[in-house]
Amino acid sequence: MPVDNRRIQGPEVSFPYCLFQQSDGRNKTNSNPSNLLTVRKDGRALLDHRKIYMKTGVVSQAKGSAYVELSNTKVICSVFDPREIPNRVEYSQHGELYCVLKYAPFSCKTRRAHQQDSEEKELSLNLKRALEPAVCRHEFPNFQVDIYVLVLENDGGCLAAAITCAGLALADAHVPMYDLVTAASLGVTGDTMVMDPIEEEERLCSQDVKEGQNHGLVTVALMGAHTQITQVWQTGSMTSTCVSDALSRLIQLCEETYPIAQRCLVKSVVNTISKKSTS
Amino acid sequence: MAAQYKTIHPVKYYRDFLAHELRPDGRSPEKTRSVTVNVNSICTADGSATVRIGNTTVVCGIKAELGKPRADEPERGFMVPNVELPPLCSRLFRPGPPSEEAQSMTCFVAKATEEMIDLKQLCVSADNLVWVLHIDMICLDYDGCVQDACVVALSAALRTVKLPSVEFDMETKTPTVDLGNRRLIDVKSSPVSTSFAVFDDEIILNDPTGEEESLSSAKLSVVTDGTTIFSVHKPGGSTLSESQLQDCLSLSRERANLINKMIKVAISSAH
Amino acid sequence: MAGVLLSEAEKTFILHGVQSDLRNDGRSKQDYRPMELELDIVTHANGSARVRLANTDILVGVKTEIDVPKPEKPDEGKIEFFVDCSANATPEFEGKGGEDLATEISNFLSTSFNSGLSFDLKSLCILKEIQCWKLYVDILILECGGNLFDAVSLAVKAALHNTMVPRVETMAMDGGNVDLQLSGDPYDCWRLDIKNVPCLVTLTKIGEHLIVDPTAEEENCSMASLVLAVTEDGRINSLSKTSVGSFHPHTLTEGLKVGTEVGIRLNKALKEALEKEEKRLQADKPERSGFLK
Repeated sequence: MPVDNRRIQGPEVSFPYCLFQQSDGRNKTNSNPSNLLTVRKDGRALLDHRKIYMKTGVVSQAKGSAYVELSNTKVICSVFDPREIPNRVEYSQHGELYCVLKYAPFSCKTRRAHQQDSEEKELSLNLKRALEPAVCRHEFPNFQVDIYVLVLENDGGCLAAAITCAGLALADAHVPMYDLVTAASLGVTGDTMVMDPIEEEERLCSQDVKEGQNHGLVTVALMGAHTQITQVWQTGSMTSTCVSDALSRLIQLCEETYPIAQRCLVKSVVNTISKKSTS
Repeated sequence: MAAQYKTIHPVKYYRDFLAHELRPDGRSPEKTRSVTVNVNSICTADGSATVRIGNTTVVCGIKAELGKPRADEPERGFMVPNVELPPLCSRLFRPGPPSEEAQSMTCFVAKATEEMIDLKQLCVSADNLVWVLHIDMICLDYDGCVQDACVVALSAALRTVKLPSVEFDMETKTPTVDLGNRRLIDVKSSPVSTSFAVFDDEIILNDPTGEEESLSSAKLSVVTDGTTIFSVHKPGGSTLSESQLQDCLSLSRERANLINKMIKVAISSAH
Repeated sequence: MAGVLLSEAEKTFILHGVQSDLRNDGRSKQDYRPMELELDIVTHANGSARVRLANTDILVGVKTEIDVPKPEKPDEGKIEFFVDCSANATPEFEGKGGEDLATEISNFLSTSFNSGLSFDLKSLCILKEIQCWKLYVDILILECGGNLFDAVSLAVKAALHNTMVPRVETMAMDGGNVDLQLSGDPYDCWRLDIKNVPCLVTLTKIGEHLIVDPTAEEENCSMASLVLAVTEDGRINSLSKTSVGSFHPHTLTEGLKVGTEVGIRLNKALKEALEKEEKRLQADKPERSGFLK
C-alpha cells in the first residue's frame, strides 16, 4: 500500500477490537436473527419508521446546507455556488451536479479509510441520479453545482438520509428545482418487511440468506408533488411482486416525510425574513 | 449599502468598525465568541465530542483498534490525530488529499496534545499488542480558529473514551476482549489553544472569525492549561511588542480555565 | 451512442413506431438485436467469452488466484469486476471519459452478485479463514454500440460458465503456513455454478412505453432508463435507475413485470447458446468465427 505522507500514520496494521470479542459476547449479538425482528431493538413495529429531524442553514460558509438525523444516523450536506465545469472543452447544455458522499472515519462499526472507496462512489452516483431529475439543470448551462455529503454516523438508511438532506440543502441554496426530493429505505428478509431498518437489521437483510426466500434492501427517492420516482436502488434477491410491494410502501413513507421537509424549509424562510427585519 | 461597501473595501470596512473599538459582529477586540461543548454525540465512535466556537464547528471521533507496537518502543501505544478540512466546510477546499492547511493544522494539534496521555497505559502486552487511538477531527464549518476547536474537541473526546479490557494469551498469541468491562483513559493535562489575529499591524483581535483571519497581517496561537504555557506559535507576519504578547498570554490563560470548566461540565452532565 | 443528432420530427417518428410496437428496424418493443457468442477464446485465462450484440462487442476473461478471505467473511471466496472502456470502443472514452461508466458497470455487477443466492462465494473457499479463490473478471469493451449493461452481463455469465478452477488435491498445515497441492492434470478442474447468476436487462422509456435494447437513435429519444438484474427463475437481484430522468410509480411496476419476463427469456436463450457453443467446442477442430482466429 502506498504510504500517505500527508496524514499522521499509525502502525501498518491494526484491527477493530470487536473481532476478538469473547465467544459468549458474540453469541449474544448473533443470537437467533429472527428474534431481532419480532421485537425491534428500538421498540418500533415492523412498518414504523424512525423519527426524523431536519434543519437547514447549518454551515455558515456554504451557499446552502442541511442536517438530517434518523435517530442515530446523522448526515450533513452543503451545497456551493455554481462554478464552471472544470476541464471541459465542449459546451454542455445542461448544468451538472457534482456529488461526493463520504463516510467519516468513525461513522461505522469498523473504521473507514480516508480515501473514497467504491461503496462511497456507488452511493455518490446514486445520490446524483436521485437529485438530477429534480433540479432545473437548463437554468445554469455549462456550470456545475457542488454537493458534498458527509455521513457522521451510520445506523442504517444512509442513502435515504443523504438524498433527503441533499434535497433540502439544494433548496436552501436557492438552486432552481421542480420539486423537493425525499427518500426512504426498507429491508426484506423472508416474508417480513422492515421499514426504515437500522444498521443491524440492514446487515441481517443482506446476509441472512435462505434458498428460495426474498431478502435485500430497497431505497426509493420521490418527488412528492409530481409523484415521480427519481431513483430506486435495490440489492439482494427478491421476486418482482415483492419489489413492487416494497415500492408502494416506500412511496407512502416518502410522501409522509415530504410535508416535514416542506415545513423545515418554511421555517428557515421565516427565520431569514425575521432576522432581516430586525437588523 | 453596507454589504456592497464590505465586498468592495473589506479592509476599510473593518477599519471603520475598529476605530470605534468594535468588530462587525458586535464584539470588542478582546472578546471571544461563545463556545459549546457536547460529548458522546456519536455512538459508533469509542469517544466523541462536538465543539462550536461561534460558527466554527468541529466533530472529533475516536476509534480504538488493536495493533502491534513499534520494535523500539514495545510498551507504548499510539495516538493518531488527524485534522480533516473537507470541501463541505468551506469553498476554499476541494475533494482529494488533505490541503496544506489541513496538514499544518494536523501538525499543530498533534504537537499541542502530544503530552496529554501517557502512551504506556495503552499497552496490552509489551512487544505484542497495544491500543491504537485513531483520532479524527472533522471540520464542519470553517469560520476561524478551527485549530482551537480541534484541540478542545480532542481533549473532550479523549476523556470519554472507554476501552474494553483485553486479555492476551501468550501461547496462541490471540487477544480476548471483554466488552462489558471498560475503563476510562487517564488524561494528564488539559491544553487549550487560543488564537489571535493581528489587524493592520497593531490591533489584536481575540478569537477571530474566518473573515478576520483572512484579512489579518499575522496570527498567533497560544496553548496553555491555565497555569503553564505549552506552546506559542506565531508563524511570521507583522511583529508584536512584548506587552502585546503578555496581554495575549493572560487572555489565553483566562480562556483556558473557562473552557476546561466547560469540558468538565459537559462530561459530568453526559454521565 | 451520442453524437447522434435528431430533429423533433425524427423523434416523433420513433415515438410513434414504439407506440405501435414496430420499431425502425422492424423489432417489437421487447426484441433484442442479433447476438453472437463465443467461448474459450483466450487461452491464458481460466475462462473467457466474447459477446457481440449488433455493434457492441465485449470480451471477458476470468482469472483465478489464491487469496486470503476477509476477516468478517472467513468462509467465502472473492470476486472482483474490472471494466475497461478502451478508447477504441467510441471516441467518447478517450482519456478519462469512460471511467465513470466503467465504475458504474462494475459496481452494478458487484451489487447484483452480492446476494448469496445469486453466486455462491462459499464454494470458492479452500480453507476457512486462511485461503480462498479470488476470481478476477476483466471486462473489455471493444466496440460500443449501445446497451452495454446487457451485453456485459451476458458475456460475464458466459465467461463464468466457461471458467475452470483447478482442483486442490492435498492440503497440509505446516505451523502457520499452508501447503497446497494442486492437481497435476491441467484438465482436472471443477466448474462454477452459474445457475442463479443474473442477466442485466435495461429498459428504456420512450413516451410511456418501455423498450429493450435501444439503438443509438432510440436512446436519444429517451430521458429515463432502468436496469434490472434478473435470474433464471425470475428473481430480481438488483435494480437501479441509470439516467437523468424519473419514473411514475405505475411505469416502474410495469417495468418490473416486463423486465422479469424479458430477463427469463434472455437467461434461457443464453443457456441454449452456451450448450450449443460447448458442443461446437467439443468437436475435433472447432471452427473459429470471431476476430481472434
